Amino acid sequence: MSGSPILRLLLAVPGLALLILFFLLPLGAVAWQALAGDAIRRVFAQGDLLAALGNSLLLGLEAGLASVVLGVAVALHLARLPPGRRALLQVVIALPLTFSGLIVAYGFILLLGRAGFATLLLAELGADPAAIAAFLYDRPGLVLAYSYFLTPRVILTLLPVFANFDHRQTEAAESMGASRLRALIDILAPQVAPTVLASFALVTAVAFGAYGTALALVGTQINILPLRLYSLIADAGADFPLAAALSVLLLAVCSFLMAVAEIAAARSEADHHVRT
Amino acid sequence: MSVVVDSLAFRYPAAGAGLDGVSLDVAPGEFCAVIGPSGCGKSTLLKLIAGFLSPAAGQIRIAGTDMTGVPPRLRNLGIVFQNYALFPHMTALENVAYPLKLRGIGRAERLNRAGQALERTRLSGLADRHPRQLSGGQQQRVALARALVFAPGALLLDEPLSALDAAHRAAMRDEIRAVQREHGIATLHVTHDQEEALSIADKVAVMRDGALLQLASPQELYDRPADRFVAGFVGHANLFDATVCGPDLVETSIGPLACTTEGRPIGTAVTLLARPEAVRTDPPDGAVNRFTGTLVRDRFLGSLRRYDLAVPGGTILGETLSRGDIRSVQIPPDCLRILPA
Repeated sequence: MSGSPILRLLLAVPGLALLILFFLLPLGAVAWQALAGDAIRRVFAQGDLLAALGNSLLLGLEAGLASVVLGVAVALHLARLPPGRRALLQVVIALPLTFSGLIVAYGFILLLGRAGFATLLLAELGADPAAIAAFLYDRPGLVLAYSYFLTPRVILTLLPVFANFDHRQTEAAESMGASRLRALIDILAPQVAPTVLASFALVTAVAFGAYGTALALVGTQINILPLRLYSLIADAGADFPLAAALSVLLLAVCSFLMAVAEIAAARSEADHHVRT
Repeated sequence: MSVVVDSLAFRYPAAGAGLDGVSLDVAPGEFCAVIGPSGCGKSTLLKLIAGFLSPAAGQIRIAGTDMTGVPPRLRNLGIVFQNYALFPHMTALENVAYPLKLRGIGRAERLNRAGQALERTRLSGLADRHPRQLSGGQQQRVALARALVFAPGALLLDEPLSALDAAHRAAMRDEIRAVQREHGIATLHVTHDQEEALSIADKVAVMRDGALLQLASPQELYDRPADRFVAGFVGHANLFDATVCGPDLVETSIGPLACTTEGRPIGTAVTLLARPEAVRTDPPDGAVNRFTGTLVRDRFLGSLRRYDLAVPGGTILGETLSRGDIRSVQIPPDCLRILPA
């Protein structure tokens, strides 16, 4: 880069202005609203809000865990395929990433709702449609729907790491007397663990803060933090300081999870750089 | 303990490559090198012996036990891979101790034994380093120590020297041989480097297109190659297309050559082999198999000089210690070997 410092500063002005106007200012306002009054105290005094926080954390962890378990298995399989078939499957797998949460919710309602296609098929086998719908319209249903669009994210972040892993290492371990499983646990697992952890933290953060799918699928019947926040803002005569406090809480948890992801990713990156 | 491979066959599903009925044996303490151009099946042979591939037919016996179909972990083989396949998340010491850990040996005991193994390969000062902090030669030594620490039945080496530069390769070659002798272990060494194979092995297997062409000592392989391909692949060679045209006389593109035709009938198509070091410079006038020509290439290699003499109808490759001008050469009849066409 060349040019005088003043010119460079001038060039940065539009970007800085945008950042201040649409990021720092609103964020500051929310934080100020949350911290100025007694809103934070009120959140912790209100049992149902704390329960919402707990439910959201549980939902995030469950969806994150389900996606990572599924994603690791699929990525392991994809990594062993020839590149051509792998690329084709990757396209198919990436497709759910382009769907909006609303569409995902609608799809699951068509499939597993009270009059859903799969529900009716299962009903023919003697299952109770109401039970299936109850499953869909509660936390298990959300875990399922979230995993649907989180698993591809896990797969796409893990695949390069798995595909680049030198399988002669596990072959070497096997030749020394390790079973296939033992070789995976002793040799592959420690090397991919940081990336898997980063991926888990990332999708957990997404699941923790997501609300589109939840709103479309279960409405505001389920007590989770993003939906409580949504009702607070959407309702007339809203309690804005309380909404701000919830926002700060949501932001804090997500930031923490993202920090975990970043640190884990940085560690694996550093490892990789020294190695090559 | 020995390694015996009997009529081993394998075919890759996609390509036509594979292995067609290869048989060879490595006796206890013996060092056998397998050479051949890429795609000849030498790496496939190694993978079959290691158990990473399953043969379509044939048998693999290690220390007298039929190991065909037995998983790799139960074959008790030490393997050094082409890229060493060291575990990057473990130190050199932990790498060497890992096979002992798999055998349920306690931490103190296995670290002690791994430490001794590293000491034998002059790496004790580097025990706490990770593979990425070691040079290629050091990684190689760790890989070798790791492959031998659990006293395996046999040692398999998959082009272990190909990642090293020329200077380290020769030293490492001697080191591998010394360690192998010390352990008295049957060793199968796969390489594409014929010079490496000749210098290190008790016997050499030459492969091509999935078939074993010849299994012999380095000297026999060089002096009495089974066919034209082996003759050309192992060492430098003059190879002439020839036809038997009389008792102990053949016709070639550079003219008639006297040599022993071993009673082949007139008209038989053969290949004539003359090693370049057998070609004599400045023979007396009237000597048999004497050729006059012009020097077209002249390479001074220090301990010897390799030259191409263009003669009517072809070129003769020779090696000499002489530094003088070369105008004529002789291929002594007893240095010409007759091979199938």
